[in-house]
Amino acid sequence: MRKFLVVLWLSHSAVAIAQVPELENPGTIHAVQEREYRLNHELAFGVGVLPLDAFYKGLLLQLSYTTHFSDHLAWQVARGAYSYNVDTGLRKQLIRDFSVNPTAFEEVQYMVGSDIIWSPFYGKTAFLNKSVSHFEVFLIGGGSILNLANSTGGPGIFRPAVNFGLGARLFSSKHLSYRLDLADNLVVSKDKGIFNVPTIQLSAAINFGVTE
Amino acid sequence: MLTPAIALSALLAAAPATTIKKSAPPPLPADAKTSKEAAPQPEAKPVSKVDPKIFDQALEDYFDGNQKRAAAKFFAYVEATAQTEENYAWAQFFLAKSLIDLGLRHAGGLYLAKIARERGNPAVLPRALDELRSLTEVPHDERMIDEQVFGSLDLAFLPDETSGFVHYHQGLWDLRVGSERWALLHFAKLKEGSVEASRAKFAVLVTRLKEHQGATQQMVDDFLELANDEKLSRETRNESMLAVARLRYELKDFQGALDAYEKVQLPPLHPGRATLYLEEAWSRYQLGQIHAAMGLLTTLDAPVFRDEFVPDKYLLRAMIYKDLCHYLPAKRAAKELTRRFADSLEVIRDREDLTKDPRLKRAASAQGATQRAFKFLQSITLEGERVGRYAGSFGERLYAHLTKLYDLAHAEAQRNYDERLNESVRAEADKLLRAAEQVRLMEYEVGLKLYERVKRGAKLVTPEEDPELAGSQVAYKFDGEYWNDELRDYRVSLKSRCIEEAAR
Repeated sequence: MRKFLVVLWLSHSAVAIAQVPELENPGTIHAVQEREYRLNHELAFGVGVLPLDAFYKGLLLQLSYTTHFSDHLAWQVARGAYSYNVDTGLRKQLIRDFSVNPTAFEEVQYMVGSDIIWSPFYGKTAFLNKSVSHFEVFLIGGGSILNLANSTGGPGIFRPAVNFGLGARLFSSKHLSYRLDLADNLVVSKDKGIFNVPTIQLSAAINFGVTE
Repeated sequence: MLTPAIALSALLAAAPATTIKKSAPPPLPADAKTSKEAAPQPEAKPVSKVDPKIFDQALEDYFDGNQKRAAAKFFAYVEATAQTEENYAWAQFFLAKSLIDLGLRHAGGLYLAKIARERGNPAVLPRALDELRSLTEVPHDERMIDEQVFGSLDLAFLPDETSGFVHYHQGLWDLRVGSERWALLHFAKLKEGSVEASRAKFAVLVTRLKEHQGATQQMVDDFLELANDEKLSRETRNESMLAVARLRYELKDFQGALDAYEKVQLPPLHPGRATLYLEEAWSRYQLGQIHAAMGLLTTLDAPVFRDEFVPDKYLLRAMIYKDLCHYLPAKRAAKELTRRFADSLEVIRDREDLTKDPRLKRAASAQGATQRAFKFLQSITLEGERVGRYAGSFGERLYAHLTKLYDLAHAEAQRNYDERLNESVRAEADKLLRAAEQVRLMEYEVGLKLYERVKRGAKLVTPEEDPELAGSQVAYKFDGEYWNDELRDYRVSLKSRCIEEAAR
């Protein structure tokens, strides 16, 4: 009985202590603001790199159009990128030193695709306590078709790919934002199996058709 | 803006002759004469004759951007030359310009005011008045510039633009001494649609607002018109909009008041004013928007407003808690006022010198004429310190003269500030006492509620659901870190704990 009373007293005290902050400072506080940047139709011009392949590095030029259904969901209707490939020198070394067949090395010439963009994160950050910048972080998922060709100039072949990645957008004004996209094209090939073509891109996105 | 070279040629064409006759030194300025009674000052050598070419050299120095050297030479010239000399007024003008450029605005203003009073050279006068106009936009000696120059200037032969400004100022002074009829005579001469005409309308409305007890719809409309007048500065338009809000509140048009408060435009990331938030909170409270009102009270706890004197804040918070039957927090909020202002209340009760209480003093110095006097005192102090920095370049005579001038000006600014402070600190003490009384009443009411018996079968009032976020809205949870862009957007979610009785 005594044990029971002690337990009862202790549990009562614990409940009372838990209630003190709520009694002293009841309620929760939120800053509720109108979302300052809302996207509608977006045209993005980007530059980027294909960094993975050891034989060449691709310098990308991309143009894309995205329509935003809501603040969180968008469809990148079309994107097209051309890759200007720069030889790293490894290819020549292999041919010269080990007589490897050049047709074995395929390079991305261009690619087109379409994606769904999901933006669950929207926030703001202070720059040197002087200004406030807004940003969002998004996930990308979609498909691509890559045109691959060997450096000897033979005809290119098309390969399908699954594209996924993530990106961040920094808003500059209601009509201009900057995007950083990190994506990977998972290329499916009958003869080579599955291989990756990652891309890193920085784009300037023009937003038009904003209603508010 | 004129480039120095163009300005030089324009000014030289306008008058200053390069040959100057030697003459007896003019008497020292009035301020300098009286300063002999002041504290020990640097000894100055007697005035010696100067080469007339010094004026040309000083002009050259001035346009070469060497204001320190130019000021010393202009001063030497002004001291050693008769007022009747053709270049005398020009020398005063450029001496003033040099001093202003060096950050010694008061000393510069003194020479400009002398030009305006002496009217020795009609070509210099409009330029001097223009410079004085610029000085009125920063803390300045109101008596010397507003009253003794613009308030008493003969309006004949002044250019239109300057004459408009002078009419405005003379009308303003008439308003201050309570003569609206005379003021309206001056204001009637202002060009319709000019900036001065808009400012004059604002001044008349503010004066009428102070004099009349009740608010009228006509006043609201007049202020609303001014609030949308693009010719006025943003600050004045905001003041007009605040006046609209306050008048509507007086007329019990709380929604109208709220609309007006929301139209007050703040620069990006500007924290705004504590009174603006408090008044908006009262309007929202009257409209039953207690969560938003509580949010605004949260804003008033921000570090930027920590030193603001807004005792009503505690009262309103206690009222909101009481309305939602959170009696302990209500009691605590009410007590917070007496706790926070304990020292000030004690000073009032003990009938001590109110100006010695830092909180009351700060509150009294934060608005109106006292604020202007305080800012002028600060600027005089700063400029007085600046004089010491130029001791080497100015030479003994100018340095001694400026030291005396600033000592006198500081003493006068201090006296003027103390006088105004004594008046306004009493008003702040009254405000605090009224709030403390309200709080005691609130504590009593809360005490009664706290021990009220709950009737059998009583139920908790069904809590109001928090409004859901609209698609275009975004919410950031507040964790004690204040962001300037959020100060107007805090919302407090607070459930009612009332039994049987509905919350307001």
